[in-house]
Amino acid sequence: MADAMIEFREMTKRYVTLVANDHLSLTIERGELMTLLGPSGCGKTTALRCLTGTIQPDEGQILLEGKDVTHVPTHQRELGMVFQNFALFPHMTVQDNVGFPLMIRSVSKPERERMVADALRLVRLEGYASQYPRQLSGGQQQRVGLARALVYHPKVLLLDEPLSNLDAKLREEMRFEIKEVVTRLGITAVYVTHDQGEALALSDRVAIMNRGHLEQLGTPEEIYESPRSKFVAEFIGLSNFLEGYVQSIEGRDMLVMASGVSVSTPALPAIGPGQKVLLFLRPNEVEILPREAPAGTNVFAARVDKATYLGDTMDYRIALGQGVELRVQGDARRRYQAGENVRLRLPRVRSWAVTE
Amino acid sequence: MTLLRAYLRGLREGRFILGYTLLLCLTLFIVAPFLMIVLRSVGKGWFARLWLPPQLTLDWYRWAIEVGNIPEVMKNTLIIGAIAVAISTIIGIFAGWAFGRRHLPGKEILMAIILLPRMIPPITYALGVARIFYAMDLVDTYFGVALAHVSVCAPYAILVLSATFESLDERVLEAAAVCGANTIKRFFYVVLPLIMPGILASMLFSFTSSYNEFTLTLLTYGPHTVTLPVRTYLAVGDGYWEITSAMAVIMVVPSLFILATIQRRAKPEKLVGGFKGV
Repeated sequence: MADAMIEFREMTKRYVTLVANDHLSLTIERGELMTLLGPSGCGKTTALRCLTGTIQPDEGQILLEGKDVTHVPTHQRELGMVFQNFALFPHMTVQDNVGFPLMIRSVSKPERERMVADALRLVRLEGYASQYPRQLSGGQQQRVGLARALVYHPKVLLLDEPLSNLDAKLREEMRFEIKEVVTRLGITAVYVTHDQGEALALSDRVAIMNRGHLEQLGTPEEIYESPRSKFVAEFIGLSNFLEGYVQSIEGRDMLVMASGVSVSTPALPAIGPGQKVLLFLRPNEVEILPREAPAGTNVFAARVDKATYLGDTMDYRIALGQGVELRVQGDARRRYQAGENVRLRLPRVRSWAVTE
Repeated sequence: MTLLRAYLRGLREGRFILGYTLLLCLTLFIVAPFLMIVLRSVGKGWFARLWLPPQLTLDWYRWAIEVGNIPEVMKNTLIIGAIAVAISTIIGIFAGWAFGRRHLPGKEILMAIILLPRMIPPITYALGVARIFYAMDLVDTYFGVALAHVSVCAPYAILVLSATFESLDERVLEAAAVCGANTIKRFFYVVLPLIMPGILASMLFSFTSSYNEFTLTLLTYGPHTVTLPVRTYLAVGDGYWEITSAMAVIMVVPSLFILATIQRRAKPEKLVGGFKGV
């Protein structure tokens, strides 16, 4: 792996009773934006803090550009970092905050001023150089944080939930801004978040973490389209799960009996009749058809339980088979009422074998 | 002034008369003795029957300065104050760091012990201090009197600086480290500027405590270490009320100056907490 920028090798970090990272191995390529995504306590922040050197892993190694930095102190790692609570220096102006890494590196004053001006232009904060952090809004403070992290062209940019302290609208705006800046500079970036929307929108690759280990690694598309486990499917996007067992295998497909309906889905490798499987459907991957629609494969009679108008979409709870309720989202231009009898077509059903 | 105006308006409109009257009484109660001393210190031929002194004079101040040896006494007071401030600030920085930054086992008990000299009657504590100081030959030395003052100054310093260190954001220090600053640079560029308001506050509090301290001084002073409160007290014994009053007024001036500084320059919330990050 010639162009690995960051490499975690079998890294383990334990707290008193808790294993925060359990033999974590992960490689981040040069120029890639990698998101560590997971619920709180999944170990993503621990991994990041091991990377900055704030805490030391108990086992394993961390490599930066192929060099072992596991025991290199934080200030020698040449990183740039953006913090959730901004962590600006409250007693310094924007100019001095952004210039701080340069001052530490003894960059000459005219050079420093030029670089600070460049960094501030990058985050569209020209004209704020003489303000203090407390005079700025949250979004502006975070842009100062970004400028400070980027000003000395670090090897790697780390972002620790940089948007969670901002309000929803600003968050979306900043998301694009960060993406644009990172893409323009071509810098390697590690982005830690628990927000799946951010992860999907920003990342080249997403590493989903759960209880200290890597659950799935892939592009946002791979993660969303083919989640490898129920955990991933539940964490990314909305999902319906149906438990059932294999009735029969017919060529490349199998028939699964789940709550009284017989669903056809691509056969799993090495599976036989009688085995338990878990079916998985996204709410927008279910088609609602009028009651009189012709029968066919994976078309079932169903009844609308609840219908909620969400503006551009309709959100339905639809009863199917014996007591299963599916969440379905459909076009708001064709509305079905609660209580209406309909047919559901399931064009795409994915499944996992359930091991007991 | 605002209070007075509000009171007058309240009176005019006939509202809250009882409340405002009580408030005015309270104000008079607090201000009257002070007013009395000021008038006494500039009045001549003022006897019990008269409401105001018939003649004003600055003679008593001249007497106080010359006979009472105020310049010398002021020098003693300031030197002792400076030593007490230096010692208690150093104690405060280390203890405050430990209290504010570390998970200290038995933190509450330790804090209680530190605050103890403030809780027990000063004379009790002062007697013990005096006993030890006689044994150690510390009585009537600048250092000795200052050391006695530290027992009341240091708790202030520790309280203020604990709060300061507590409010120091770990993440800001981490940010400085990621930016490339080693421990020494982190201290000088980030920690020190951020705790400076706390240190100044602690110094001000310590200084006023030492400056005003009476009981502990009384039991540890000697001919070479007379401080202003003690000198004023001795003057009372001499029986010259006018001169004593002049001394008392002189003594108040630096206190008022410090109070004004605290109120105007340093906002109390800045003093105690340092700056808050966000």
